[in-house]
Amino acid sequence: MEDNSSQAGSAKENSDQNSEGNSLNKDDSSLETIVRKFQDTVSLGKKHKFWETQPVGQFKDVGDTSLPEGPIEPPTPLSEVKQEPYNLPSQYEWTTCDMDSEETCNEVYNLLKNNYVEDDENMFRFNYSKEFLRWALRPPGFYRSWHIGVRAKTSKKLVAFITGVPARIRVRDEVVKMAEINFLCVHKKLRTKRLAPVMIKEVTRRVHLENIWQAAYTAGVVLPTPITTCQYWHRSLNPKKLIDVGFSRLGARMTMNRTIKLYKLPDSPATPGFRKMELCDVPAVTRLLRNYLSQFVVAPDFDESDVEHWLLPTEDVVDSYLVESPETHEITDFCSFYTLPSSILGNQNYSSLKAAYSYYNVSTKTPLLQLMNDTLIVAKQKNFDVFNALDVMHNESVLKELKFGPGDGQLHYYLYNYRTQSALKPSELGLVLL
Amino acid sequence: MSEWQSLLQSILIGLIFSYLLAKLISLVVTFKEDNLSITRQSDASVEVVHHPKKKTTVVGGAPNPRGPEAAHDRHETESMIAEQGSVRNESLPCSDIDDDDEDDSSDDDDDWEGVESTELDEIFSAATAFVAASAAASSSQKVSTDHQLQLYALYKIATEGPCSAPQPSALKMTARAKWQAWQKLGAMPPEEAMQKYIDVVSELFPTWLDGSSLKRRGGDDDAPKTDSKGPMGPVFSSLAYEEESGNELKMEAIHAFAREGEANNLLKCIDSGVSVNMRDSEGRTPLHWAVDRGHFHITEVLLSRKSDVNAKDNEGQTPLHYAVVCERETLAKFLVKQNADLDLRDDDGKSPRDLCESDWPWMKQPGSTD
Repeated sequence: MEDNSSQAGSAKENSDQNSEGNSLNKDDSSLETIVRKFQDTVSLGKKHKFWETQPVGQFKDVGDTSLPEGPIEPPTPLSEVKQEPYNLPSQYEWTTCDMDSEETCNEVYNLLKNNYVEDDENMFRFNYSKEFLRWALRPPGFYRSWHIGVRAKTSKKLVAFITGVPARIRVRDEVVKMAEINFLCVHKKLRTKRLAPVMIKEVTRRVHLENIWQAAYTAGVVLPTPITTCQYWHRSLNPKKLIDVGFSRLGARMTMNRTIKLYKLPDSPATPGFRKMELCDVPAVTRLLRNYLSQFVVAPDFDESDVEHWLLPTEDVVDSYLVESPETHEITDFCSFYTLPSSILGNQNYSSLKAAYSYYNVSTKTPLLQLMNDTLIVAKQKNFDVFNALDVMHNESVLKELKFGPGDGQLHYYLYNYRTQSALKPSELGLVLL
Repeated sequence: MSEWQSLLQSILIGLIFSYLLAKLISLVVTFKEDNLSITRQSDASVEVVHHPKKKTTVVGGAPNPRGPEAAHDRHETESMIAEQGSVRNESLPCSDIDDDDEDDSSDDDDDWEGVESTELDEIFSAATAFVAASAAASSSQKVSTDHQLQLYALYKIATEGPCSAPQPSALKMTARAKWQAWQKLGAMPPEEAMQKYIDVVSELFPTWLDGSSLKRRGGDDDAPKTDSKGPMGPVFSSLAYEEESGNELKMEAIHAFAREGEANNLLKCIDSGVSVNMRDSEGRTPLHWAVDRGHFHITEVLLSRKSDVNAKDNEGQTPLHYAVVCERETLAKFLVKQNADLDLRDDDGKSPRDLCESDWPWMKQPGSTD
């Protein structure tokens, strides 16, 4: 009752404002202006009306240590989750994309190939391979219903896509079931149709239907509110091509000759016992990785089936190497990278850029520097043009020495419906999303 | 005793009465709260950049919504601004939809009939973005609740079509008002709704298009960079250009002309008496630079002007070393024809032949450059 009456008071005041005009409430509105200005400053002058309605860490709460870490909203009973899909504009319809079907997989591949993420200058566009998509979207326990497409009703053409895959992600001491949201793509011809928000809501709804209430995702833009912001670094393996296609630039005082010499790598890895990971290594790699990842604040909670799926080498998708001690045959170190080529737009000589992305690396006996250098060597042998890495985990300590240069891209990491009390340093993050 | 009873009775009646009164008040309160949240959610505080002609009305602005009711309500009914605001995140994940030159795909253009974005879409999109943006700014012009509801309903029709949601409970005034406004428009076609939405915005803010993003299609105002990044997902990063530091290289104009492939300037330089074998501080001649950058024509010019084909830089490397390391086969062949020495060793003891990693058959067998 008391609560209500205080609301009554404020409601009355406000309705007075509305009816009586503006003379009385200068104070109120200026107070409001101040509040707004403050919010503007903390949100870097940007408004995120969509995200402000979502259970995500809000800019206004940054630094508020009174808010507990953990879920922002409790789960609702499954019976209260909206049962029907969200409405799409009338020309479109939802579809579930069965990635086992060659035809559907092709459609998804082509949609992404022609419409997915580009660089700022529109010189490159990600070109995830079909094998990669199947790998990325079908981990242990995946839900087909989370592979969501939108088709034009008349032509049945696939025009938009968004996905989630289940993952167990540990935040400090809590292991939380989450969805990793990725591959949000709307056809270039439909960019003003406002499909993205409804797609995000729809994937959220379908995640909720599986009784999962948290999600992890990344973005190149700042939204409310990153748990950490990482920097991309790039190690040239084929500097001449990278320069020719505009991925990197040759300084006026630098020669191509010297640049090529600078990035030259030995022909084969230096560490004795360095070899490709095999199926029989899964238990040892799982132990190694679990132990290593336990030191990070946010990291996946991998079991053996996850390791087998995510880290066992798959041609042109993921490569993993390890160091097996020649004496004890113990597995002491591990490194991995995934293959993500990009289309080169509008270059006469080259159409594809082959990039390796550092995935999970564990060093216990072999120094990380040497381990990563051996990784670069095998990536070079496999004809990659560039090796990319984020400054997550312990990467930063070796990047400069291995001749990585900073990239122009930042990657922000987010959790949905899970508050972390303070932002992490990139080196406290043990999670790599594809 | 009966006095006692009547006293009790009147107390009881009083209690019941005050209970009812309290209930009534709380009902009124809920009603007002809901109204307020209409105001807040559906853009009460739409505001515009100051314009002299504009008649300013109430500067009301949305009251700061606190209290559990309001918060709950906010969750329950989707805020109109929220939906509209999110439009700005929409242009994902890369920019210019305007030039479709990139479309190398096998898309059949007929398939896009009625599906792809039209000009109306774009203006509508700009209008919703304008409404959302202006709601976020600080000096606000109030839009009447009627207009807000109208905009809301048109927006819903344009984006979701006819109202098929169940009617919200009578106690949820905001939700109900919004639902009714939407419902009332029946099966209005989305295009009509978009057009009407634009009309309402234009009526409320006659100048809204003046500052709009549609302008940028003509001008070369390099508008939101963030357009190239999607609302979520990975990021394409390339090497950031770093100014070389600590590179103390000293070079002359003639080296720069050779490097940049500027034949005319290069010739002028030579004709004015600059030595064609001029060294930079690393001992490189213009020929080293021309070969390094792959300028065939400049290489020809320099050699025709008696450039030393076997000139060594400070590391003992000749232009042919450069051609081989930089994998420039045509140039390498040409240099060899011009008597470049395939077996001249640099300071590391490597000849061009040693350094050759490319699969150039003519390089492997001595004396067979043809």
